[in-house]
Amino acid sequence: MAERPEDLNLPNAVITRIIKEALPDGVNISKEARSAISRAASVFVLYATSCANNFAMKGKRKTLNASDVLSAMEEMEFQRFVTPLKEALEAYRREQKGKKEASEQKKKDRDKKTDSEEPDKSRDEDNDEDEERLEEEEQNEEEEVDN
Amino acid sequence: MAAAAPAAGSGTPREEEGPGGEAAAPQPQAPTSAPGARLSRLPLARVKALVKADPDVTLAGQEAIFILARAAELFVETIAKDAYCCAQQGKRKTLQRRDLDNAIEAVDEFAFLEGTLD
Repeated sequence: MAERPEDLNLPNAVITRIIKEALPDGVNISKEARSAISRAASVFVLYATSCANNFAMKGKRKTLNASDVLSAMEEMEFQRFVTPLKEALEAYRREQKGKKEASEQKKKDRDKKTDSEEPDKSRDEDNDEDEERLEEEEQNEEEEVDN
Repeated sequence: MAAAAPAAGSGTPREEEGPGGEAAAPQPQAPTSAPGARLSRLPLARVKALVKADPDVTLAGQEAIFILARAAELFVETIAKDAYCCAQQGKRKTLQRRDLDNAIEAVDEFAFLEGTLD
């Protein structure tokens, strides 16, 4: 009854769409082939995670970061993924920054309404996004980490 | 003359996103998501679940999860295309499981998949 990691599949609908868009029009895919590709994708993620984790441990870090994953891609001989992944990362960072600024703007508006002048905790914006997330995740992870 | 005034008696001009919803004409709302929202189609939560399944992994940052998701998409595209080459040789228009097996055997980078798809 134990759930194997490979059984954690990614959603079929999304996998199907990605496959269809990669192939020319009119090409179909059998159910078995599609579910095999889905499993392959899960195995890929597990393998990439393991490789990336090695890089993180080499750097004496406990948290996987983007560059660990990129290094893993090269290690796995998927260098051709590296450039598109870097571009995607740039776009993602820009989007995250936009979201953060939007929520900070909302916060400022709220503060103005309440009229209370709380001292702004001065925070550097560099690298604090990841650290904020880490703190949230760490609180969740403490239960799961066995040491 | 009798002009059909769609606006309610409150005097507000007809807004597209009326909070009260009193405008009669249902205007199709354009999706408000930014054009760059399609950065990754795979749900990050599922990818994160896979990452957590590894007992050696302690933590993974948001960016790492995102890149893994994107890499998985690229992987699916790549393997689908490679499998398609095999199907094309057989003059078929439907990808079968054996096309995938052939691709895995033929392409070095897919060697890690051998024996895992059973």
